[in-house]
Amino acid sequence: MKMVCGMSTTDKLQGLKVFVVEDEAIIAMMLEDMLSDLGCNVIGPCTGLKQAHEMLAGAETPNVAILDVNVGGEQVYPVATALKERGVPLVFATGYGSVGLAEVWRACVTVQKPYTQDDIVRALGMAVGA
Amino acid sequence: MTDLNFHVLFDALPSPYMVLDTELRFVAANPAYLAVTKRRLEDLLGRYLFDMFPDPGENGRRLAASFRRVLDTGQPDTLAYLPYAIALPEAEGGGLSYRYWTCAHTPLPGPNGKTAFILQNTVDVTDIVRSGEDATLPFRQIPETSALIQRAQEASAMKDALAREADAFRRLFQQAPSMIAVLSGPDHEITFANDTLISFLGGRELVGVNVRGGLPDIAAQSFMGWLDDVYRSGTPISGNGVPIRVARPDQNAADHYVDFAFHPIFDEHGAVKGVFVQGMDRTTHVEAEQRQRVLLDELNHRVKNTLANVQSIAKLTLKDSESPAAARAAFEARIMALSHAHELLSRSSWRGADLRAILTRELRPYGANRAQLTGAPVRLAPRAAVAMGMVAHELASNAAKHGALSNGEGRIMADWHLEPDDGGSSLKIAWREAGGPTVGRPERRGFGSRLIRMSLEGELGGTTDMRFDSDGLKCHISIPYEDGLRHEHD
Repeated sequence: MKMVCGMSTTDKLQGLKVFVVEDEAIIAMMLEDMLSDLGCNVIGPCTGLKQAHEMLAGAETPNVAILDVNVGGEQVYPVATALKERGVPLVFATGYGSVGLAEVWRACVTVQKPYTQDDIVRALGMAVGA
Repeated sequence: MTDLNFHVLFDALPSPYMVLDTELRFVAANPAYLAVTKRRLEDLLGRYLFDMFPDPGENGRRLAASFRRVLDTGQPDTLAYLPYAIALPEAEGGGLSYRYWTCAHTPLPGPNGKTAFILQNTVDVTDIVRSGEDATLPFRQIPETSALIQRAQEASAMKDALAREADAFRRLFQQAPSMIAVLSGPDHEITFANDTLISFLGGRELVGVNVRGGLPDIAAQSFMGWLDDVYRSGTPISGNGVPIRVARPDQNAADHYVDFAFHPIFDEHGAVKGVFVQGMDRTTHVEAEQRQRVLLDELNHRVKNTLANVQSIAKLTLKDSESPAAARAAFEARIMALSHAHELLSRSSWRGADLRAILTRELRPYGANRAQLTGAPVRLAPRAAVAMGMVAHELASNAAKHGALSNGEGRIMADWHLEPDDGGSSLKIAWREAGGPTVGRPERRGFGSRLIRMSLEGELGGTTDMRFDSDGLKCHISIPYEDGLRHEHD
């Protein structure tokens, strides 16, 4: 089930290491599939902040990250900060749109749930400059 | 005996008198009247009173009404207390002189017996009023110096009337449902505070206290600046839903929201001498609005989230299914499982759902005698309840396809208990199938097993152990449990 999207962008997403934090199992599974379909390598999905920090410490530096804002009742910002310090471009996924983001992160790329594969392609493209 | 000349008498009266015709034009005025109004007789005679002494406001209306009553009833009429500004002549620098008067209006009959003139005796009581005046005008007590008022008997009646009026005013303001205060001077000394305001501020003594020094909790907030602005500029200020923190002596500081209006009180020269404060405690209303906004945001978020879940189920089911017909059936069944979990949760207003109820709901289609559920009531928080509902659905439908529920005899035993461990407890669930066909480990991981692992190990932070024994699937689940499981929010 590969969706049709702008080829130039999808080509650039091939082999991209995408760090994923999403605590809802079903949504995490779908995002994992979407990214695999795009030829990306998924790091995660992490379903909690603790796991995210651990995985980040052990993994190669990702090329980009997709972060659910609310993770198990906690906000994902400490993970976002750690990623930013390593120079990783961020995409936030939220049910509230960009207004659901803390002020300092408003400039980051966001996708609003529910999102399509095209939304993910566009958001990743904007984040990594593809 | 010399005849008494009434013109001489009229002119000699030390108290100001004047006479108007029925059109309120000046017919006569004695020197005392001319002195107090600073006018010349020739300027007044034949002229309309309200052209000479205009007042478009309430006091002008009261004066006109008094004349009207005299003309209508033929009875005398008294205005006990009439603030009335009169224009000063150019020679005295012009401008307005703010004065207080008491007026007695007496009808004078013409030849036909009907009222043809009105005799006005007016006394300037400005000095008496000022001697007792402060910023609390409607509330002030009448000074005992009223002996100075010339018509002693009338004055006493007026005083009573005025005192009654002031008392009525005072009661009205004292018991008003909104908060009312009268402040005097640059430090905003409280000269009047009504019951509602006193109780809002925690029953403190307020009258005589100045806001700047005596109410530090209020003075520390923006209100002080606004009071100063009104006092300085003479311009009213109002606000809606303004937050205020009140440090009540009897309890902890409380946050409130108030609608308020600060109006300047002017003296006779038009200078600000105080501030009239009105306020309404709108806390309940504002908090209800905030709650509603939060609820709407939350509803919006939940709908978005549920749609994202449905979308994921659709996408993953389509990918996982062997045929469109199988995809449709699996998709519908999964949406129904999601719906069942929501249904159970909505019965408890989304506080949680019982594990037994969740399992029973997903096993119901296969007959009550096929499953044996053993365990004490365990409440699952909303997120955990939804996840467990989806897991139970996948386990049951897998059993119906390949396991114990795929033939006529197989049975499912599910039992659970809470087990204390370091720092909390774990919910242990054992799902055992027996009597079904021999099963082996599936060749590939489908939606079901992926969901079980991702939900229980990822989302709920637990562990799963699936064994495909020859007599049926054994699934051991352990998830951290803190009264209702974590993930109350997402």
